[in-house]
Amino acid sequence: MDAVVVDDLTKEYRTRKGPVQALTGISFRVERGEIVGLLGANGAGKTTAIKILCGLLRQTSGRAEVFGVPSSRPEVARHVAALLEGSRNVYWRLSVEENLRFFAGLQGAPPREARRRTQGLVAQFGLEDKRRTTANLLSQGMKQKLALACALVKGTPLLLLDEPTLGLDVETSHELRGFIRELARSQGKTVLLSSHDMGVVEDTCARVVILAQGRVVADDLVPNLLALFRTRAYRVSLRDGLPDGARAQLEARLSALRPLEAERALEVELPPEQDVYTLMDALREAGVAVEGVSRAEPNLEDVFLRIVRGQNEGER
Amino acid sequence: MSRLWTFLAVLTRFFIELKRYPFNTLSGLATLYLIFLLLFAGARYAQGLGVNLFGESLEGLVVGFLVWTFAIAAYSDLSWELMREAQQGTLEQLYMCPLGFRFVTLSWIAGSFLTSLVMVAALLGLMMVTTGHFLRLPLGTLLPLLFLTLAPVYGIGFLMAGLALVYKRIQAFFQVLQFVFVALVALPSDAAWGKALPLSLGTRLLGRAMVDGETLFTLPLGDVLVLIGTGAFYLLLGIGVFRLFEGIAKDRGLLAHY
Repeated sequence: MDAVVVDDLTKEYRTRKGPVQALTGISFRVERGEIVGLLGANGAGKTTAIKILCGLLRQTSGRAEVFGVPSSRPEVARHVAALLEGSRNVYWRLSVEENLRFFAGLQGAPPREARRRTQGLVAQFGLEDKRRTTANLLSQGMKQKLALACALVKGTPLLLLDEPTLGLDVETSHELRGFIRELARSQGKTVLLSSHDMGVVEDTCARVVILAQGRVVADDLVPNLLALFRTRAYRVSLRDGLPDGARAQLEARLSALRPLEAERALEVELPPEQDVYTLMDALREAGVAVEGVSRAEPNLEDVFLRIVRGQNEGER
Repeated sequence: MSRLWTFLAVLTRFFIELKRYPFNTLSGLATLYLIFLLLFAGARYAQGLGVNLFGESLEGLVVGFLVWTFAIAAYSDLSWELMREAQQGTLEQLYMCPLGFRFVTLSWIAGSFLTSLVMVAALLGLMMVTTGHFLRLPLGTLLPLLFLTLAPVYGIGFLMAGLALVYKRIQAFFQVLQFVFVALVALPSDAAWGKALPLSLGTRLLGRAMVDGETLFTLPLGDVLVLIGTGAFYLLLGIGVFRLFEGIAKDRGLLAHY
């Protein structure tokens, strides 16, 4: 059985200005133990999809199920926990331990089990020194860790994480990515993660579902998407920048040329009939001093932008 | 058993927060006592002029004030708590309780009832010492009567909570209701329509138990049955309206907003 089944899901909000279509018949599945990224620009429908899966929002039509349970039923909460608004999901006047025990109890865990889970998570998240500190006195990074721990303490097999690293510094963000990867690897948790931070998604997710204007525009493994947009592009670092007239000379021989970093580097995409020797010859003849050449690999951000822009242009 | 653990978790949080704000708790009690003192002074003065403001005796004032205090706590705790949860961003997490949000609210009500009971008992002690009139406290009669008297108020609390989910800022309506409760407590319950309204009949029956020493079995059966009927009616009506507004909030995605 799949952990998440979303089938032809539609959500329409009725506003004073008329209906707003947040989701238009989206479908995707998440297998047990997978970490899947849900990507999309603001207003693409990520949070709407996540809230429908949590049972916090009612769909207009279609199917949303978590481990076979329709998300509209309260029992769905036995299978899913969510981090929805980051550190706003915790009680600021309760201590770290009190928060964790409360959320474990809310899920129906007996006091002894709630204490056991609390102790485990306090240690796992490095919150031992802060276990009696009220949440309002924690740093932003610690609050975010606590919010994630509060979702984990429920012990559900599925976690929905909406922007889990929002507002975190680089170090804490990396630490949280590690936790998320570990959840799937050692505990077999299924994670559906939505984020604007492509680094987080690329670092943690094996597969991504890309939403644009309420529709699924891509659903594939990250390496497949990267391969799809891999080009014969090279990045050339220049020792002394571009000499006078060199740019025009290079543009005459190399069609897709893009100066970078105030002409201290170039990005060149070679057509099939040209190879790296053609590139080197052109650079030498233009009198350009080369410091290094590397293959320019697309990252998930490039892939995301190309897909979403392509979708937008197609709609126009 | 999971019901018990969830109930205990909600109750524990309720009491931790109460303990964490001792000034709020104690100042609430002190304010109520001050209001009572002002009412008491007014009643004594009126009595001196031959005007009886609070029924047959000063005991009427004590019982009425007691019911009003309990009613304010009963209806405000639920809707106020819901607004606070929405504001701080934890309401959605409570909605993700496997037993459903209504179970969480019922646990809140239990916490609120117990807290109010302790507060009102302390207030009653102070009031009895101040007035020099000592009331009877047959708990076996008082507690069921109190619960039945307050059941409609909990219904109103659910109704207000439903309104708060969708309309968010309902403080004005909220405050006006406090004065409506004063009128309901003071309303004579002799007429049939008076008995059908919240608080009125219950206050009279509580008065008869506390002042005249009547028990559940000596009170008029018809009145007790009407009290049960109106209690169930208003409570179910409130829960029904809450469910309706809950559905609207889920449809419009309003649970997280304030």
